[in-house]
Amino acid sequence: MKLTRKQLLGGAAAGALGAAGIYELVDQLADSPQRAGALELPPEQHLLAGMKSFEHEGVEVIEPPLHHQVMTAKLRVRPRPSALRAARETLEASLRELERRYDLTPAGLAVTVAWGRPYFARYVPELAARHLPIDRRATTDARRPVSALLDARRFPSDPDDTILEANDVAILLRSDVREHVADGAQELFADTGDLFELTSIRKGFQGGGFAGGRSLPKAMATAAGVPGADLIPDTAQLFLGFTSTQTHTQGQSAIANFETLGFVDVRDGYFRGGTHMHLSHLDEDLEAWYLDFDFRERVDTTFRPRLEASDGAQTLAQRPEDAAGVAEVEDDFRRFGAIGHGSSIQPTSRLQMDIRGADGKLYRKGSAIPLRADFNTLDNPFFWTADPERDGFEEQPSAGIHFVTFNPSSDDFNRNRLAMDGVLPGGRTLPIPPRARAQGLNSVLRTTHRQNFLVPPRSRRSFPLSELLSS
Amino acid sequence: MTSLRQLVVLGALGAALVGCSGEDKPESNAVAKPAGCPSALKPEWQQLANRVGVPVYCPNWMPSPLDADINGQWNSSGPIVNRDKSFLVGFLWHEAGSGDVHVNFRGFPGKTAMPRCEDGKRSIPCFSDPRGSRKIGDKKVTVYTVSRDADQWHVTYLWRRNGTLYTVSEHVAPPLTFRKVVANLDRLVGGLELIEPAPSA
Repeated sequence: MKLTRKQLLGGAAAGALGAAGIYELVDQLADSPQRAGALELPPEQHLLAGMKSFEHEGVEVIEPPLHHQVMTAKLRVRPRPSALRAARETLEASLRELERRYDLTPAGLAVTVAWGRPYFARYVPELAARHLPIDRRATTDARRPVSALLDARRFPSDPDDTILEANDVAILLRSDVREHVADGAQELFADTGDLFELTSIRKGFQGGGFAGGRSLPKAMATAAGVPGADLIPDTAQLFLGFTSTQTHTQGQSAIANFETLGFVDVRDGYFRGGTHMHLSHLDEDLEAWYLDFDFRERVDTTFRPRLEASDGAQTLAQRPEDAAGVAEVEDDFRRFGAIGHGSSIQPTSRLQMDIRGADGKLYRKGSAIPLRADFNTLDNPFFWTADPERDGFEEQPSAGIHFVTFNPSSDDFNRNRLAMDGVLPGGRTLPIPPRARAQGLNSVLRTTHRQNFLVPPRSRRSFPLSELLSS
Repeated sequence: MTSLRQLVVLGALGAALVGCSGEDKPESNAVAKPAGCPSALKPEWQQLANRVGVPVYCPNWMPSPLDADINGQWNSSGPIVNRDKSFLVGFLWHEAGSGDVHVNFRGFPGKTAMPRCEDGKRSIPCFSDPRGSRKIGDKKVTVYTVSRDADQWHVTYLWRRNGTLYTVSEHVAPPLTFRKVVANLDRLVGGLELIEPAPSA
């Protein structure tokens, strides 16, 4: 029997869901860290329990899960209440089954289900208009209500051909155990019948090397024959040579929730406990990074010009009390003609004052707001795609990052990303040409895809708002 | 602690990498040419030595398709000899869409300090990010992965002899990788012949 293109794609996608490819090496190159036991499931989907922190080069660092996988999909569900009800029950049953099988820790499996604007527009447009959170700051600026979930945009340093995606749903799986991720993917996609039409599978890894051994980025890139792999420091957490998961650079507790800081109006509270997720893929030119920027310049551009750093350091303290404000970023630019990635976003990514959160917790000035969940990848740009031509798929591995971050809103993410390009809070723009050397990090990154998603609270993760449809 | 399973995998990885065919295969594994500057090219390098007043190094091997003919088709720079007698000789093959093979020879007579390069308003070391040193023949070479000016995007081998600093660098660009360039420089520097300036020069 001759298979249709759709069947062929479906078969390939099903195979790719659990396939390890080069990522099988992760298990052979790194030991799974010892993890604390599971706690009660939090109301948030994006928070992980049982994370381990330790000191690296004198800085407290969180050890992320080893294996990461994101799947994006369009829905095959008909936009009718009965079909949505059945779909919701099917997906929720699968999610609960995974929660029954695995703890919500890196030793088990963490699942985060996020929904794109196309889902809300097609399936629940009127309910979305009433219930989606409203971004207060963006609303004030625009003088009209602005949703906390916006379509992704291109930024000044993005290439003109960065693809702005329109998936209905994205599911993030995280675990130290690759088989758990594969099992989760199977349960959610292959075993849920005809709910989803996969559009992409994105895989990657984090960690290793903190104990002094060769870390995963170098070992994996070397195994994959990525140009510049030999130049990666032996113990680096990321391909670009520095550590990104120090405690002070990660949004703590529920700070990235919609409701916590008051940046967002959760209206009737349907999405309280939820957050916003940005997903993008960035290709990294390792040879440009390591051959054109020396260590001092890599520190300057990754963190802040003239930041004190011992030779070869990988984990540089980014304490709340040291967070740069707008004046410092402008001063750096005036003195050095360049801005650092870390310092440039701190005026937007760090709290500018103490804030008592909606959760009752006091978040101190200088605290990081975004909760990063990005991971290294050798996908080029994806492990699997339903549309290789559109996505520019290539078999040859390439160093990159699947950038996943949780912020209180799209606008909040946009403010941070614009600051990377020298667009400071208050509207002043530093005269730095896109991807210029003065932007340092941006000059070696090439963003291929972007999309924003809404992460509902755990209790409303399956086809949010659809239960409110009258049948 | 590394497990046996990991060692097996890493060993296999290493074997796979060493056994890669194509561009990553070190040319240094090829049969070496006889040591010494090719006789046809020696007069050009001798002329350079005479001009700068210190010994210069002439290679007996260059990465394909280059040769070390200073007056030949691949010469891209000079020899450029500055007032202080520091010099640059470059050889370049370039094909649009295919890439570059670019090798530079430099010398700084009477100077052993790290040369400085201009970067906008700043003066910065011309070579930075040292990546260890190695003994090649009688030379103790330091490998630098970040280079400036005419050596930008090159890996540079730097050594000193009798009060003069010498460098040889090669561009990391397709069709070459960092690993291949290092292999090329190992072989190139291993085959250098010292050409003394003529007594009458």
